[in-house]
Amino acid sequence: MKQLFSKDKWKYAFYTVSHPADGYYEIRHRERGSVPIAVLLVILFSISFSINRISASFIVNDIDPLTINLLSELVSVLLLYLLFCVGNWSITCLMNGEGRLKDIAIALGYAMIPMIVCMNIGTIFSHAVAADEGAFYYMIIGIGIAYGVFMMLVGVMEVHNYTLGKTLITIFLTFVAIFIIIFVVLLVMDLINQVIGFFYSIYQELIFRA
Amino acid sequence: MKKINRINKIAAALLAAIVFLLVPAEAVQAEELPYDTYNYNYREDFVITPAAYVPNGSVTGLSVGTTDFKEPQDFCVAPDGLVYVADTGNNRIVVLNHEMTEMVREISTFDRNGTADTFNAPYGVCVSENMELYVADSNNRRVVVLTPEGEFVKIVDNPQSEILEENFEFIPLKVTVDYADRVYVIAKNAFEGILVFESNGEFTGYFGTIEVKITLWEKFWRRLASKEERSKSQLYIPTEFTGIDVDDGGFIYASNIDSEGVQAVRRLNPQGKDVIQKGENGNVGGDILTGMYGDYSGPSQITDVVYRDKGIYSLLDRRRGRIFTYDKEGNLLYIFGGLGSQEGTFNVPVAIESIDGEIIVLDAYYGAILRFKETRYGSLINEAVGLRFDGDETEAIEKWQEVLRLDGNNELANTGIGKAYLTAGNNRLAMEYLELGMNRKYYSIAWKRYRNELLAKNMNMIMTVVVVLIIAWVVYRKLRKKKKGKADGEGGLI
Repeated sequence: MKQLFSKDKWKYAFYTVSHPADGYYEIRHRERGSVPIAVLLVILFSISFSINRISASFIVNDIDPLTINLLSELVSVLLLYLLFCVGNWSITCLMNGEGRLKDIAIALGYAMIPMIVCMNIGTIFSHAVAADEGAFYYMIIGIGIAYGVFMMLVGVMEVHNYTLGKTLITIFLTFVAIFIIIFVVLLVMDLINQVIGFFYSIYQELIFRA
Repeated sequence: MKKINRINKIAAALLAAIVFLLVPAEAVQAEELPYDTYNYNYREDFVITPAAYVPNGSVTGLSVGTTDFKEPQDFCVAPDGLVYVADTGNNRIVVLNHEMTEMVREISTFDRNGTADTFNAPYGVCVSENMELYVADSNNRRVVVLTPEGEFVKIVDNPQSEILEENFEFIPLKVTVDYADRVYVIAKNAFEGILVFESNGEFTGYFGTIEVKITLWEKFWRRLASKEERSKSQLYIPTEFTGIDVDDGGFIYASNIDSEGVQAVRRLNPQGKDVIQKGENGNVGGDILTGMYGDYSGPSQITDVVYRDKGIYSLLDRRRGRIFTYDKEGNLLYIFGGLGSQEGTFNVPVAIESIDGEIIVLDAYYGAILRFKETRYGSLINEAVGLRFDGDETEAIEKWQEVLRLDGNNELANTGIGKAYLTAGNNRLAMEYLELGMNRKYYSIAWKRYRNELLAKNMNMIMTVVVVLIIAWVVYRKLRKKKKGKADGEGGLI
């Protein structure tokens, strides 16, 4: 654990932000990434996303704070993260991807850094702008998201040693895989419900007959 | 010990009784009302507010000393304060005194150049500024103009124009007159708009046509459909106007039934262009939350509009029997009323008017005029909006503050106070109130000014900090260089 959270690993996460291609390559081949840090970054992203919508200035924020639930948003972001990792992994396994599940998780997690930074800067900055300067706020958020998406793309590309075209195709297929996973999970849940219902009705029958 | 306990108990019971007796005395008004008074907030949620108007009795034919009204369809308050009721089912016009306690006269026949003439289902009624009575005599297909006493003046009928369809039948339903004696008539099956007649009775054209909106989806289906299918499907015709009123400046307020529930009233300038102002939510169509299923759901069906005073106007909804009041900027002020059989509720509300700060509604089913008088809450809002209409925002602040005491969440009141503080230069307080009032535009202005204030006040400090930081940075770099140089063994060179 100590090793996974070491100062070196943290430093390397930020090195990846400034040098995405090199950074992700070494994550795959020299074990310089850390899954716990990646998960922590995803959690941080979820929290800063929620905080941005709760406490960004009234001028740029039209969201009813009552509709935001930090905990349920955290759960859904983590679930989406898990789904994407598993979906991408299962697709790239079939398509000669070199990355392991661990590498995919790190690649996605580290891509959250620009988003976390820009969301929080944006939240603070929003309290300084007036309505006609709102464009700056949206620019900050936009840059964060754009760079985050770019990092994700480079991450998937480097980790699996793909070309850009192949990366885009696998990402599209990843979404298909996510839908299949969700579908299967729902199916299984329904099935389990029916089995439980069946046994419950047998139990009730026995109780009433006895 | 026991005794003390008992005394305590009695005292507690007494106290409870006193509280019980005192508290309902305040709350009784709201509980006895047969309807809720509410409004929509910025998030378009339903918010119950204190009552703005309460029922104040009703007026029937019997109560004013004549036979009962039979399906009356329209009424009108004349400039001299008398109330004219179009008693459609009894083919007469009933004139009531200002207090609506007794009948002044009844007009059922009039002398037209020597021959006696009567009405046939008079549907609409209006009294012009020049004290002439206009009656939309629907089944006789004409508008009859009389003096208030019932003397014949003229007849407006039989519009002739190329723009009318060949077999167009002129069945006037509602009528109103502006300051130049132009006659505006809503006629049955005249989907193109309101018919306008000059004071000499000449038809000049349609006015305020409602454009038909066809969605892209409908266009797509029409393209796919065969000719036969297309002829079978319903025509896209604009909705008809339902009620009409004219304001002090000669602008026409016309209500219509909007199936989208977005715009049920138009304010038409002399060219017939709609110049109504919509509020923050862009909606002047009555209820925003309308439910999904059942008879009671669906967008409001606005049957009449009344221009009241200082830009305030009210709409009457026949689907749920509600009265919506807007200010000039299109903000909803309050909503009240409901269907039912209790006093103060409607069955088939058809027309709305205002008289001396009262709102009066004509119900065709009950054949009665229902009166509503304003409460303190209602009158405070009316006065505050009126003061703002006159440009007297600082005066309005006191009214708004009283409104806030009765209804702490009133966004209009918060915005009103915020704007007043903004004009007074108190930007900090303005920001606070404008945020409560959810007014982003003015909040932004207040914040900009407050920000400048802060900057100006703290300029010295900010500049000092910046200069100190720069110096510190330079010194730090120099020191570091020295250190580095020493470490490299080249210190002597610098």
